Amino acid sequence: MKPSPGLLALTFHLAIVSSISFGGFPTVLPDVRAFVVTIHGWIADQDFTNIFAMAQAIPGPNMILMMGLIGWKVWGLAGALAASAATFVPPCAIYFTAFRLLRRFQEAHWQRVLRSALVPVTTGLIIASGIVMAQAAGITWAAIAVTAAAAVVMLTTRLNPIWLLAAGGALGGLGLLV
Amino acid sequence: MREAPFPAIWGIRASLTPRSTRIIPTCTTGMSTPEPSAVLPLQQPARAPLGAIAKAFLTVSVFGFGGGLVWARRIAVEQRGWLSDAEFLDIVSLCQFLPGPNIIGIAVCTGTKLRGAPGALAAIAGFLVLPWSVGLALGVLCLRYAQAPLLRHVLGGVSAAAAGLLIATGLRLLLPHRRRPFVIGLAVLALVLMAFSRLPLSIVLLALLPLSIARSAARRP
Repeated sequence: MKPSPGLLALTFHLAIVSSISFGGFPTVLPDVRAFVVTIHGWIADQDFTNIFAMAQAIPGPNMILMMGLIGWKVWGLAGALAASAATFVPPCAIYFTAFRLLRRFQEAHWQRVLRSALVPVTTGLIIASGIVMAQAAGITWAAIAVTAAAAVVMLTTRLNPIWLLAAGGALGGLGLLV
Repeated sequence: MREAPFPAIWGIRASLTPRSTRIIPTCTTGMSTPEPSAVLPLQQPARAPLGAIAKAFLTVSVFGFGGGLVWARRIAVEQRGWLSDAEFLDIVSLCQFLPGPNIIGIAVCTGTKLRGAPGALAAIAGFLVLPWSVGLALGVLCLRYAQAPLLRHVLGGVSAAAAGLLIATGLRLLLPHRRRPFVIGLAVLALVLMAFSRLPLSIVLLALLPLSIARSAARRP
């Protein structure tokens, strides 16, 4: 079986972005969405949003699962395996190597510099992901209100986020967000 | 979200400060282990079984909702005594500035520390294989009916809420820096570039990170 060029392109792209996903995989969501929805048109925006929602609601490694489902949607099981592997193998290799090489230099000056330098950029990127996914979820006043309410509750209480997802799903299921 | 590392890390850091002693096998009372049924096994000086490593990170993966880090610490430090608090913090801070889903980084580093490369593989396998397979099956089933209006509306609502969680995660990270105009300015710039321009992530990082590193290097003595 010949691997599809599209799947190779997706795998390669995911391997690159997972290698630069400072601050966690959510920071790369807008990039991945642009790549699979806007540039290549492999997946409809609606599917991307659905997959995002499912991956968030299913317990387990959610971002790896999300990329797996995107791969599945277009290329079936081969796509799911390739996309998931591209998401976790490069970072795991980096973690493994870094742990072997660097653990004795924990408080090295450059590490502190790098850590504090990453904060503004990664936080901006995470918020950008939230905004992009909110746009993708549909721009109605009710949906924006749900997004805002979830953000406020998450910031001001210690409620388990699963309840917020459940509440959003319930409101959506009642047809209140369209 | 679960894979956004920093807030959970700060949470764990705060919760770590009062306790810095290593759990030793003779110490079986006075533990604050939340599960009443948790019994401390005798600490094995050299080898943690690969199966136990895999099982530990399977638990972290499945129960990690809203903070896998808390579970990782609970299991690796409190229940198994594989790592001391200081070692766990070292691993967390190493993973903090490396790319990737950081909770997997903790799995990889813990596995590596315990058993080298096989330990890392066991941790990854435990973390991924079962949850990923079950999750994929569920997701595929869900996708099949995703066009049904009810499911579509439910997923839309979940998605809107999940987007709010991402925004909150970012805002919480910024909160401690709210009086630093440079940090806020750079965060806003990153946000605008990523959300509203069509630039790829690599370009945005390449443009902003050197700026941030230069500033951060200059700030510190």
